[in-house]
Amino acid sequence: MCHATILKLGSYDVSCDSCEIELYTRDFSRSNMAGYPPPGGYGYGQPAQGYGAPPPGQPYGAPPPGQPYGAPQPGYGGYQQPGYGAPPPGIDPQVYHWFTTVDADRSGRITVTELQQALTNANWSHFNAETCRLMIGMFDRDHSGHIDLNEFQALWNYIHQWKGVFDRYDRDRSGSIEFNELHNAFTEMGFRLSPQFAQLIVTKYDVHARRALTLDNFIQSCVLLRSLTDNFRARDTTGTGNIQISYEDFMCMVMLNKP
Amino acid sequence: MAYQYQQPAPGGVDPQFLWGVFQRVDKDRSGSISANELGTALSNGTWTPFNPETVRLMIGMFDRDNNGTINFQEFQSLWKYVTDWQNTFRSYDRDNSGAIDKNELKIALQSFGYRLSDRFYDILIRKFDRQGRGQVAFDDFIQCCVVMQTLTSAFRYHDTDQDGWIQISYEQFLTLVFSMKS
Repeated sequence: MCHATILKLGSYDVSCDSCEIELYTRDFSRSNMAGYPPPGGYGYGQPAQGYGAPPPGQPYGAPPPGQPYGAPQPGYGGYQQPGYGAPPPGIDPQVYHWFTTVDADRSGRITVTELQQALTNANWSHFNAETCRLMIGMFDRDHSGHIDLNEFQALWNYIHQWKGVFDRYDRDRSGSIEFNELHNAFTEMGFRLSPQFAQLIVTKYDVHARRALTLDNFIQSCVLLRSLTDNFRARDTTGTGNIQISYEDFMCMVMLNKP
Repeated sequence: MAYQYQQPAPGGVDPQFLWGVFQRVDKDRSGSISANELGTALSNGTWTPFNPETVRLMIGMFDRDNNGTINFQEFQSLWKYVTDWQNTFRSYDRDNSGAIDKNELKIALQSFGYRLSDRFYDILIRKFDRQGRGQVAFDDFIQCCVVMQTLTSAFRYHDTDQDGWIQISYEQFLTLVFSMKS
């Protein structure tokens, strides 16, 4: 049974301090859609190996087919919002149900604040605002700063895929990814990086000094890692794992990917 | 001089005054200021909460004993830092709106010695404009300047022959970017 609960139901007391940022859309250009957990081959950092070709038999970050966790059940069953009828065609009824629940102000759109209130980590902490902004930025196709029902369907699938990846690497089922688990995860996803690098990520993302990453931090760091790797690879035309880069290009690239 | 201190308060601000400020900010009377207390106390002039990332960034810079909070001595340096930035910011925020636009940001950063393209400033304003108004507020401006500084000195560090080009490996590059996270 999953222990990193994705969504919870109920009415929310919106009192979070840092999320009055509904209109805030960062530039998560389409390249960040590359942050999908189920990448194709993702070998990097090992110059001898061709880019893109997954090592044979490597499962990568792709979630196993089918939903192993069962879609999460609403915690307070049968919560039906007034004003919402049957789901529109093409939308999974359960996704529709979740959408209407997360959309606390019933505007038909989900804001960063609403999403943050709705998503929780295994330790019941809410998702951090940055990860919610990151994900909304990725799925907000019309750049409205909100997620509508169709966009939410895609976002929903995305979060579930990540949760599958998270649970797979959380080998001790602690509900968080420790440093050695993170290093394994990176390696198995095809990133050839030192243990020190995984250590740095844990130190930087674990704001509560528990020496482990919660689901939101895990998603956030993996998405950034993927995006940076794409950027680096695009410049590494010779495939040596080293690039020559000018100040201007460097500043633009890093700033675009600023965590 | 009515009183003498071993260490004059930075920027010539009356330490008695600062002590009063410190006590007001230290709501729980713990003798030190937490990130939450600092965030509540700081104003960016736009009636929005001070960017928590900027607060963490500043605590990280001034918390010399690394206990995650700011004591009075550390607070004095932090105060000077914030007021210095405030003065800089105000001199570019001509209409006193509490935010500066892309051109003003460009002028400010050029005056600090940065030479970068328009494309870069477009990216910068998108990244640090949390209100979605095409402008950068005071708190985000501080963060922006600190990030610029950090990145530029990281680049310089690798640019040993100072020709504006560096060679950097994959892991070095990733480490550099992830280290920026406050």
